[in-house]
Amino acid sequence: MTDEKPSEAEKPEDKKAEAAKPEAAKPEVAKADGAKPADAAKPADAAKPAAPAAAAAPKPAAKAPEPVIPATAGKFEQFLKEHGIPAQRLPLSLEVETIVLSGDVLQAALRLLRNSSEVKLDLLLTISGVDSNDTYDSVYHLWSYSNLDELVIKVLIKKSDVAEGDLPAVPSIANFWSAANWHERETYDLMGIRYANHPYLRRILNPWDWEGYPLRRDYKQLVDCLNDKNPHSMR
Amino acid sequence: MSQGNMSTTAKPNNPVVPEELRESVTISSIDLMIDALGQVLSPVLSPIANLARSNSVWPLTFGTSCCAIEMMSVGMSAFDISRFGSEVFRATPRQADMIITAGTITRKMAPALITLYEQMPEPKYVIAMGACTVTGGMFNDSYSVVQGVDRIIPVDVYLPGCPPRPEGILDALLKLQQKIRTENYADRRKKLYAQTSVRPVDYDTGRPLADLIGVVAEDTKAALSSGQEALGDAAKGISPEAEEGKVVATKPVAPKVEVPKAEAAPAPKAEAAKPEVKKVENTKDEAAEKADDKSV
Amino acid sequence: MATEIQEIDLKTDEMIINMGPQHPATHGVLRLLLTLDGETVKHVEPVLGHLHRAQEWQGQNRTWFQYQALIDRVDYLSGMFTSWAMARSCEQIDGTVVPPRAEYLRVMVSEMNRITSHLLWLGTYLIDLGAMFGFPFYPFREREKLFDLFEEIAGQRMMFNYIRIGGVLRDPKPEWFDKLKRFLDEFPDRIDEYETIVTQNPIFLKRTKGVGILTQAVAKDYGVTGPCIRSSGIPLDLRRTKPYSVYPELKFDVITFDKEGDTWDRYMARILEMRQSIEIIRQCIDKLPSGDIMGKKQMAGMRIKAGEGFAAVESPRGILGCYVISGGGEKALRFRWRNPSFCNLSVLHELLKGCPLSDIMAIFGSIDVILPDVDR
Repeated sequence: MTDEKPSEAEKPEDKKAEAAKPEAAKPEVAKADGAKPADAAKPADAAKPAAPAAAAAPKPAAKAPEPVIPATAGKFEQFLKEHGIPAQRLPLSLEVETIVLSGDVLQAALRLLRNSSEVKLDLLLTISGVDSNDTYDSVYHLWSYSNLDELVIKVLIKKSDVAEGDLPAVPSIANFWSAANWHERETYDLMGIRYANHPYLRRILNPWDWEGYPLRRDYKQLVDCLNDKNPHSMR
Repeated sequence: MSQGNMSTTAKPNNPVVPEELRESVTISSIDLMIDALGQVLSPVLSPIANLARSNSVWPLTFGTSCCAIEMMSVGMSAFDISRFGSEVFRATPRQADMIITAGTITRKMAPALITLYEQMPEPKYVIAMGACTVTGGMFNDSYSVVQGVDRIIPVDVYLPGCPPRPEGILDALLKLQQKIRTENYADRRKKLYAQTSVRPVDYDTGRPLADLIGVVAEDTKAALSSGQEALGDAAKGISPEAEEGKVVATKPVAPKVEVPKAEAAPAPKAEAAKPEVKKVENTKDEAAEKADDKSV
Repeated sequence: MATEIQEIDLKTDEMIINMGPQHPATHGVLRLLLTLDGETVKHVEPVLGHLHRAQEWQGQNRTWFQYQALIDRVDYLSGMFTSWAMARSCEQIDGTVVPPRAEYLRVMVSEMNRITSHLLWLGTYLIDLGAMFGFPFYPFREREKLFDLFEEIAGQRMMFNYIRIGGVLRDPKPEWFDKLKRFLDEFPDRIDEYETIVTQNPIFLKRTKGVGILTQAVAKDYGVTGPCIRSSGIPLDLRRTKPYSVYPELKFDVITFDKEGDTWDRYMARILEMRQSIEIIRQCIDKLPSGDIMGKKQMAGMRIKAGEGFAAVESPRGILGCYVISGGGEKALRFRWRNPSFCNLSVLHELLKGCPLSDIMAIFGSIDVILPDVDR
């Protein structure tokens, strides 16, 4: 990390430069919003992360104003493509660039993003698991210690690809950040995403032999004499 | 011996031992003598003893969440719980008279709370502090929260609020002191055994043992009725080498392990249920681990 | 005559000790599995989840309005910050413009909250180090005064629910500012008082100097944030490095120490932060504009536009982030908290490796972990 105090002079400009992007992205969000919940739209066009060119072609969906990829391709998307890693920018990103990667290239992409001198995304903020409509997402929020860059990486796994009784698998990134260790354990615990190559993939918050993954949509809550509440009875 | 005693000297005032404690509790003739003596002396002694006890109720430092901070505040100079003789927060249950259950109790924490309660010497009191310990509060429909401590240990005073103000804690303490002052030695002794019978909770799963036993019994029945092939599967499931992937995939936990215990009585006592549950955990974990390694 | 010294290989066994979940110094219900070699700690495994109240699950099952009231419990010592993180991420999605007066009020109450949080840390940390019931009376005295002020504006001592999506709940009366100013005038003397007792106390120095050194590399590896990483010389303070709200208009510096931070540095960083907060609040009172305080109508059926947002604030323990996915309905699709305590706690086994048993509490206390913030 640079040791100089961040100077006030350059900061507003940086902010503005970043703020310019969302202005471009916002109208689309609003449009998508009108057609149907944008969240439903996201997994649909993110479903084929390996083929970024194909994804740009509009799908024959019901909504006419199909969200297009912004004209100015994202900085990190560009960077990754230069190094031969297929990345696809999500139009949904509000203020932060959001890209979709396939699980196979996650390790290579993170090695680049973390270590290269031009992009130094070396602060892993959090790893979240999301149960979207038809995908399980593993979401990585990356920041930098030395500049103002932010990046959100999503790895989407189609629910239809996950075999019955199996867990969606994503490569672990605990070899890059020790911080990822606990975040991945937590996501495994609550969302049931299995991180391959994780050093110690056990449940962290719930007891070790807990059944089910509580934050999934199809989770059936345990009912016994300690907690017999029907969760939907009140609201 | 205890049984005989109970039946032959069937005095109406005998302490009643609940069913589940019959095996561990024996009531000797000395106990009965003390009881009798206590009943004679209690009108004289009780008021004096109660006055002394009620003015030095030492709480246990048991705080799980938000309410613990207010419990700390009440010990500090602004509210000063030492005016009522309860400022000595003990770190060990063996020296405490009272638990203020300050904060949410989860399934994972429930067994520890029961252990703490059982480690406290009689007479012991419980103040359920905060909405979470009274009913589960804001979190009462969470999958991991116990809906009130009175589901696992007996409670003397309920103190609602989220969190209650420190004045509320003082009020609850005064109410408890009132309760202690009106107690009678003989009555207390009669209630003693009934109060000790807390609801046991399995340490690994955080589920009540009664429920687990029911589940095990049902599964056993199901496995027995489903016939021979179920038994065969179950026998395979025990040996750790046998098809780990399948074990993870096939969800039903009970048939694959519990069947060998099928000969046991359908409702065994608490100790019998525990090892079985552990076994489930082990096999599952090993299997999950191996599955991980394979996929890598 | 020379005695021959025979060397004998003594067989020693490692011992596993269970600490917690009921332990007076774990600030809640943390359980540590310690592997000891004699007095030396070989390995520590924290066992979490004894206070797992399913906050994220609640976020998906309550309306926005209901969940606002719940999230003060995520980090009960700094409820303003959790509210603020949620409010910011929702405003990001919604495009809500927060009135400037509300922003100033938010900064004010948050910095007050930072002071109360650090005060409680100071009191309990000294208890951890063995100063049972004596010193803790001092910080709690000032805490009560701040609580009275909070109560006046929010109606609650600890669970404020004051910062709402779109603004703040209530405009304080003019008398409130007078009371606050009076407190700010006397508070620096109180900090001096604590420092007289603690900072150069020989016992305190022996317990904390050179103990639990957190190197920059380890801190970055584990994603440590807050005073812990600043005392190790990395000036990561969101209020300056990624300024939000009205912090760019306020004058203050990031507090860092230009070396590897030990336990004493972490103590000192928090003391200095309290002094800094006083100055920030003073500036806010001076600059406070008049006007509206709420930019979004508060009602039970409140909705947030579809989209997703991530917002972070600098809480007393580090970067507190809130990741929200909204489907445009009354409830969120996903709530995810990035808790500073969770990440700071994961570094514990690195700090404790090789230290004597007696230092465990000195080191553990110094990273200022709040258990509901870890377990949620």
